[in-house]
Amino acid sequence: MNAAVEKAVANVHRTEQVVIRPGKGIFDLELGLIWRYRELMFTLMLRDIQVLYKQAALGVAWAVIQPVFAVVVFTVVFGNFAKMPSDGIPYPVFAFAAVLPWTYFAEATRRAATGLVDDAELVRKVYFPRLVIPLAKVAAPLLDFAIAFCVLLILMAFYGIMPSFKLLAIIPLILVASLLALSIGMWLGPINVRFRDVKHTIPFLLQIGMYASPIVYPLSQVPVEWKALYSLNPMVGVIEGFRWAVFDRGNPDFAALGIGLGVIVVMLAAGLVYFKKQERTFADVI
Amino acid sequence: MTNDIAISVRDLGKRYLRGSSTKHNSIRDVVQDKLTTLLTLGLKRKKKDYFWALSEATFDIRKGENVGIIGLNGAGKSTLLKVLSRIVTPTSGEARINGRLGALLEVGTGFHGELTGRENTFLYGSILGMTRAEVEQKFDAIVEFAEIKEFIDTPVKRYSSGMYVRLAFSVAAHLDPDILLLDEVLAVGDAAFQRKCMSFARSLQQKGSTILFVSHNMFSIKTMCQRVIYLKKGKVVFDGPTDEGLRMYENDSRLKETYWFHRDDGEPPITFTDAVIESSGGVNTGVVEHGEPVTFRMRYKTSRRIEKPEVRLSIDRQDDMHVMTFSNTLEGLDLPYLEGEGELVVTAPPLTLTSDFFLANVAVRENRHGKLLVAQIVGHFHVRHPNYSSTAYGVLHEMGKWSHTPAAVAAEPVLAAATPTKAAS
Repeated sequence: MNAAVEKAVANVHRTEQVVIRPGKGIFDLELGLIWRYRELMFTLMLRDIQVLYKQAALGVAWAVIQPVFAVVVFTVVFGNFAKMPSDGIPYPVFAFAAVLPWTYFAEATRRAATGLVDDAELVRKVYFPRLVIPLAKVAAPLLDFAIAFCVLLILMAFYGIMPSFKLLAIIPLILVASLLALSIGMWLGPINVRFRDVKHTIPFLLQIGMYASPIVYPLSQVPVEWKALYSLNPMVGVIEGFRWAVFDRGNPDFAALGIGLGVIVVMLAAGLVYFKKQERTFADVI
Repeated sequence: MTNDIAISVRDLGKRYLRGSSTKHNSIRDVVQDKLTTLLTLGLKRKKKDYFWALSEATFDIRKGENVGIIGLNGAGKSTLLKVLSRIVTPTSGEARINGRLGALLEVGTGFHGELTGRENTFLYGSILGMTRAEVEQKFDAIVEFAEIKEFIDTPVKRYSSGMYVRLAFSVAAHLDPDILLLDEVLAVGDAAFQRKCMSFARSLQQKGSTILFVSHNMFSIKTMCQRVIYLKKGKVVFDGPTDEGLRMYENDSRLKETYWFHRDDGEPPITFTDAVIESSGGVNTGVVEHGEPVTFRMRYKTSRRIEKPEVRLSIDRQDDMHVMTFSNTLEGLDLPYLEGEGELVVTAPPLTLTSDFFLANVAVRENRHGKLLVAQIVGHFHVRHPNYSSTAYGVLHEMGKWSHTPAAVAAEPVLAAATPTKAAS
């Protein structure tokens, strides 16, 4: 109660008063602080974007090369050699529509999980709500996504696939992917502060995640009895949604999307509490 | 809490687990640790080793006050600033901050080498808590203060360290906070820029900013603060007028390790157990007259044989200017080794220093220029010069030999010699 009164008084007088105490309640998430530090979040995101392709001869082209290269490999290996079915869609576009959100998700997750340690100097020497870091890290690769998306449009034109208004569904879908990356980052980030092992674990976790998502194969290939379990992976709903939005066929898999969203909400809420609790010791152990 | 208090601290404490941050950096270490505990049935379990980096700190700082925080290495100065700037969470107690707080614990934290000066200005500005609009508005002033106009669009990795620091400090200086926490940051850049920083700090003072200032430089503390808080092993042992606090600190710091010396493990193999500074009047009372010979006597004790030691006695002016170094190897005393106990005596020639306050340090290296074994403070002394009473006259006053030749006699032969060659060409 005291704190609330003080806050109100401080607001009236338009001066800031901060009380520094050892502990906070576990549900004191200080989300308002994130809003106050939105400029820092934006600047850190901008920094990550500016820095990423500096002194790289090919520059921003890397945003395109990575997914295109993956799709070429998938097309040769899975499309041609393994004759993987692709629901009657030309395999390259079929794969690209999935590689696109996956590349974004993988990059966002990797950065969100390692971001705190990458910015250890800041954590050690400057105060700000630490949640700003994973938020900025998740947002930065959206630019790469947007660039690679243009390649998808070109690919669609090449294969004579007309984009429909359903393509707009990509926006909420990529947001779902970024929420998932954020929630994973909120769990792995604090662990990485304590144990650098996380950095080495992420690549193969993502590798497993990739094969546990319908990227190189269609969802229809997954045995029906496994589907519910399979859909616990929120990227299943996102990727199937992408294919639906791009190819304008059938209906989006609302069941998979719903299960996935449920998983994200739980992970996000718990992750937030976990992150805020760990946040207090970041500067001591990082 | 009344309205004129900027910072109010009550029983503030911070406890750390000794060595915890370095030992367990991978899960393997933890598993190994737990396994050992399990296999030895808990007999070998290490007791958790806590220490209080800061404890029971209680003080109030009024708005507009400038307070210096002094103390030896590891006394808790930086911990106090880190707690007040909310970087680390305290273990006990409470602190209240009234007003916008800016903390500068290190100049240039968050600078990114790949980004240009301009980009970094915005980045660093927002890291320090400025809005983008604010940085935009102050941008020209920042660049001008930093004196790097022509390099503002160059990546900072191409900057010299001086330029880097100047830009960083310049951004920080324009933060314009109500309360400013400074940790050693004024001790950066060249002398000219340092003067600029000091005058900037003074202008902040005049604007009524509250400044909390950690420094090893007693000179800056003296010029900036009317009050000091002296920390010793995490506790506030003195809180009051600067002169009195500094005197206490100087007494305590005699024979202590210098702030730049970091021992790796355990006791140094050689330590100085006593030291006196003598001038013509016997054991020095703290004042040396200009031009007076000074003798430094230092008793040492070793825990092992120190081979071919090089002992250096250096004298620093209070603003951290390194004035001179005496060295046994350069000055004709070859010591094959030092062992057990003994006394080293350095008699300095008449010191021609101008009036100021000086600090003598002694450092020992093994095998001539080998590893630094120890660096300790020998003591402090004032030099009194009859006329030159400020640093404006320089460090030394040497007696020059003057003569004068009136122009009528001197001018003609010089001109006569110069003219013919010109005419010939």
